[in-house]
Amino acid sequence: MTLIGKPSPEDVNLHPLRYQWAYDLYNQAVRNTWFPHEIALKEDLADFEKMTEDERHAVKFVMAFFNPGELIVNRVLALGVYPYLKSPECHLYLAKQMWEEANHCVAFEYVLETFPFDRETIYNVHLEVESMKAKEAFVMKFLTRMTDDRLDIETTEGKKDFIRNLVAYNIVMEGIWFYSGFLVALSFRQRNQLRNFGSMINWVLRDESLHLKFGINLIHNVLEENADLLTEEFAAEIRAIIIEGVALENAYNKDLFPTGILGLNADYVNQYVQYVADRRLEELGLEKQYGVTNPAKWMAGATDVYELVNFFESQNTSYEVDSSASGSHKKAE
Amino acid sequence: MSISITKFDGTKVPFNADKINKSIERACQGLMDPISMVTQIATETELTLYDGITTNEMDQATINAALQNVKDDIAYDKVATRLLLKTIYRKVVGEYDKDNDDDLDLKHQAGFVEFVKKGVVDGKLDPRMVEKFDLKELSKALNIERDDLFQYAGLSTFENRYALKNMDQTPRETPQYFFMRVAMGLSYNEENPTLWAKRFYNKMSRFEYIAGGSTNLGAGTINPALSNCFLLEIQDDMNNIAKSVADVMLLSKGSGGIGASVTKLRATGSPLKSNNGVSTGPTPFAKIIDTAIRAIQRGGKKKGALAFYMENWHCDFPDFIDWKHNAGDDYLRMRTANTAAYISDEFMKRVKTNAPWYMFDPAETPDLCELYGNAFSLRYAEYVELGKQGQLRVFKQVPATELFRKMLISLQTTAHPWITWKDNINLRAMNNNTGTIHMSNLCTEICLPQDKDNIAVCNLASLNLAVHVVNKEINWGKLEESVRLAIRQLDNLIDINVLPVPEAVKSDSENRAVGLGVMGVADALEKMGLPYESAPAYDFIDRIFEFISYMSYDESANLAVTRGSYKHFEGSMWSKGMVPFDTLDVMERDRGVKVTVSRESKHRGLNWDVLRAKVKKGMRNATLLATAPNANIGLIAATTPGVDPRFAQVFSRNKISGKYLDINHNLVKDLKNLGLWEEVKEKIVEFQGDISGITEIPDHIKAIYKTSFTTSAYAFIEVAARAQKWMDQAISRNMYLDTRDIDETMKIYMTAWEKGVKSTYYLHMKPRHTAEQSTVNVNKSSMTGKVGFGALKRVAEVKTNDESELLADSAPITMTVEAEIPVMQPVAHVAPVQHAVPAYVAPQHVPQMAYVAPVSYAAPEPVSVPASIQPSLDIDRLRSINEPVRSAAPAYEAPRGGFSEVSRGGFSEVKPKPKVIFAGAKTCPTDPAELAQCDSCQ
Repeated sequence: MTLIGKPSPEDVNLHPLRYQWAYDLYNQAVRNTWFPHEIALKEDLADFEKMTEDERHAVKFVMAFFNPGELIVNRVLALGVYPYLKSPECHLYLAKQMWEEANHCVAFEYVLETFPFDRETIYNVHLEVESMKAKEAFVMKFLTRMTDDRLDIETTEGKKDFIRNLVAYNIVMEGIWFYSGFLVALSFRQRNQLRNFGSMINWVLRDESLHLKFGINLIHNVLEENADLLTEEFAAEIRAIIIEGVALENAYNKDLFPTGILGLNADYVNQYVQYVADRRLEELGLEKQYGVTNPAKWMAGATDVYELVNFFESQNTSYEVDSSASGSHKKAE
Repeated sequence: MSISITKFDGTKVPFNADKINKSIERACQGLMDPISMVTQIATETELTLYDGITTNEMDQATINAALQNVKDDIAYDKVATRLLLKTIYRKVVGEYDKDNDDDLDLKHQAGFVEFVKKGVVDGKLDPRMVEKFDLKELSKALNIERDDLFQYAGLSTFENRYALKNMDQTPRETPQYFFMRVAMGLSYNEENPTLWAKRFYNKMSRFEYIAGGSTNLGAGTINPALSNCFLLEIQDDMNNIAKSVADVMLLSKGSGGIGASVTKLRATGSPLKSNNGVSTGPTPFAKIIDTAIRAIQRGGKKKGALAFYMENWHCDFPDFIDWKHNAGDDYLRMRTANTAAYISDEFMKRVKTNAPWYMFDPAETPDLCELYGNAFSLRYAEYVELGKQGQLRVFKQVPATELFRKMLISLQTTAHPWITWKDNINLRAMNNNTGTIHMSNLCTEICLPQDKDNIAVCNLASLNLAVHVVNKEINWGKLEESVRLAIRQLDNLIDINVLPVPEAVKSDSENRAVGLGVMGVADALEKMGLPYESAPAYDFIDRIFEFISYMSYDESANLAVTRGSYKHFEGSMWSKGMVPFDTLDVMERDRGVKVTVSRESKHRGLNWDVLRAKVKKGMRNATLLATAPNANIGLIAATTPGVDPRFAQVFSRNKISGKYLDINHNLVKDLKNLGLWEEVKEKIVEFQGDISGITEIPDHIKAIYKTSFTTSAYAFIEVAARAQKWMDQAISRNMYLDTRDIDETMKIYMTAWEKGVKSTYYLHMKPRHTAEQSTVNVNKSSMTGKVGFGALKRVAEVKTNDESELLADSAPITMTVEAEIPVMQPVAHVAPVQHAVPAYVAPQHVPQMAYVAPVSYAAPEPVSVPASIQPSLDIDRLRSINEPVRSAAPAYEAPRGGFSEVSRGGFSEVKPKPKVIFAGAKTCPTDPAELAQCDSCQ
């Protein structure tokens, strides 16, 4: 059985597992389960009151992008990825990922409902601001091809469309755009602002790290199984998709930070975006494009090392829900 | 972009790089390589500026720029600390000549007198602060150079949490004013207050001990609620429940943490006499309190904190286990409060023998709350019999082992309920003449009785063991002095303390309970060169705790001679000539099972018989020792909290006062001395603070610097047991586990009970999966042996074998792309640019250059030529194209491409480093499929 292709009756046989990595990711995703109501936002509200206009704008702008963004990812998964995958372990993972996207959307909704935002305005930002519209149009462009009746997934062109779409939503949207959003959101946490919102972002980031890992694994496995995709031309095309995504993000960052706030401005975030984009290129086996360093060294403390939480001060975000397995497993031996 | 600065008065001035550079320069004075540090900080500061930035933000931006470099060099922590100090001096002392240290010193001294007098006039400080002291003399005793002892996280914690503030939240006091305020605030009733204030000040300002959080907040102020811990037992009647809610709110407001026992509340379905209805059980009542503490800002600083205690024979105990689960009906869950299980010997014995466990409605078995040890067991057996005969309205039966397992599974997934042992606590209590101890407190280190007329109160301070280590030796004389002064200071506190609830006032004044703790244990062990997990370390801790406890009890007996004994002394174990060590036998006899901790003394020269005779005559305090978690004051003193191991060599602390990257200064210094630091510093972050897999670091260093997850859990227990045997109260024993095997976890907790440990605190589980790392190189594909489009290049390489050099630079695919390339155009080869930047560039020129090529300054990490084109690897690479090998290849491919998202052995893809699982010294497979089956990794 191959990873992608037309559906066949054997596709629903989970065993023997062929793509163990997908099954493992599914299990880890289940352990990562969290709920928005675990986060209390009261102290963050007080922080928000004290923020400057530019800071509030940045918070709202990021929310305005993420909230619909999570649902766009879901649409892409449902229409552009799930139907063409034959592997049941991948289907399991995608089902959990789709729940997570829904959970993220609801989590941002929870913040939107708690903070003194004009929600209507925020909901409309992605329909009105050019830089944000362009980002969405970019993703939808690739999805549209996936929903076209003429697409034949077993042809080279069909497989290419599959990869193009995967790169656009997973590498660009989840792997680059979301990461710049996380940087902005976590920068407030770094300054001891919006601490609980920061905890929520930690969770979202933990989930998104898995989504990205799944996507990258998927791309690699499809490439491995389909040598017809390995051409210089196609590599160049994939590269161009990522670079276009970075350019779109640069424009968006200008709207995010018309002036700048303490510790962040558009140039700074752009450099971070390029740094992340280089990493994604290399992960796909492509050369770096930008060669810039990570300007945000402070991210070492935000994401790179274990976090020790004083439990009665902050929500601990590193707990995982599972556990029943280990003990009984041992017994069975 | 031209940048202007918004000054305090709102006016704007153009950004002046010289001025900023000058202030950074001052902060770098006397450090190694100050010029490159100035350059680095100035450049990175300017990167983050924006037009209209305020002066305050400007200060913060400089500090942040320094801070983000700490992971590369701890000298940056010093710089950040100095920069922050400067802002505090400016706010408190006013402007001063920054190039003349004497000027600051003089103004700092003069400012102190002003600070106290104005504080009294403004109604912030107690009038006694002026009346009782010679302020001039005290101001001369201030030593501003001790500010140099701070690390950034501690100073920031001081500023955010403890410093008295003005209305606009700017600090009213400098760190030295703060230490002196606390010292004075505990000396009012001394015969010579000025003298004693100086003595206490000299201890605290040198970090030799630090007062507890509430004391730091309240001492010297008009609101001296100085106690940290309150323990209240909620009674089974509506009036008392309502009063308890009110008491919790009042006590929280005074900044104390609370333990609250709910064991006495009748079970769900238990009949109510008044209206023939049935009770809803403890849960809804607990929920009221859970909500109430959210509303309170403790001492105006943080929300209320409370731990509910329940004995596990209560019919509703299974619900209690679920209180902290993240899913389910919100009305049945405690979002803020913590939970702790209070367990009897009877239960532990039944777990060992796989016997059934019975649960009752306390309305039918009320005396079980008051009984402990063997007396409990006998009564319990009677109730079991009554239940079986059908004479109880209700009882439940479960296998004891299953209940224990369920508790530990919950502990693993939600960190609750904490495991504490009722009989270890009560059978070893020195003060059981005043009733049963129904619970411990918020941090599981307090063991004091309570009933409906007494809310137990404890007053805390902690010794810092690390600063008592000089040249790998303990300075015993200094340690004794620290203990005696700390005990005296704690005893003074009680007569100054003002508490909001009469039951707490009563208990505080009648028992005079204090809890001196010890922090910096792991720090001290590192300084001595002893691995935390080693027999010499256990003996060292044994010796230290024997000494500290001896001196504490002795000092309290001394104070009793001059000040009199506490009210309930008669009838206490003290009055029978016993010391806490002697209660181990009491416990063992009652339990009928050997307590497996070594009884041997590791300290020669302490004559306990002399002390036994002395305590028999009188004690000033019902209790003396309790080792608190020190989550905040450990930061203040720049040491490891309590008896905790190093969490990791580098980690982040998520604190109410901020998020701090914590890096182990002892390790950094050792690695610098070995000439290894530069080589391994990035790996330490990449490996998330676990150095065990870094080949360059020698084994003897690795043995000393383990993380909490690579140290055996049995070491935590041994350390606690050795300390516990000398102590009258308990220890906040945090636990850390790598394994999720429940059987093993049960064994660990069983061992704790067997060794006589009274309580455990949080269980920290090692995360199996964390977010993608940002600042270290990550390539998820190379970890799995995938090459993706890289396969094309291999083919190209074969074709142009001789031109591989050329290929490296030409980046073939790049040219096919036409995309808008942003301002910060990459330089094809960044590395040479880096070398081109001279380290000695005059600092003031650098910021301008920053915009040209920030790359060249930012990271010392050169952009390397991709490993894939290095000739030596070509053959392996080529093989991997046709035959993607998943196991072997990654191990050699990317030596520093950490597979960061997955913690060790987390799941199928795995860090391609040689991995040793410590428990069984077993090496795990690197093949993903095989790994998934590997037990040690699950």
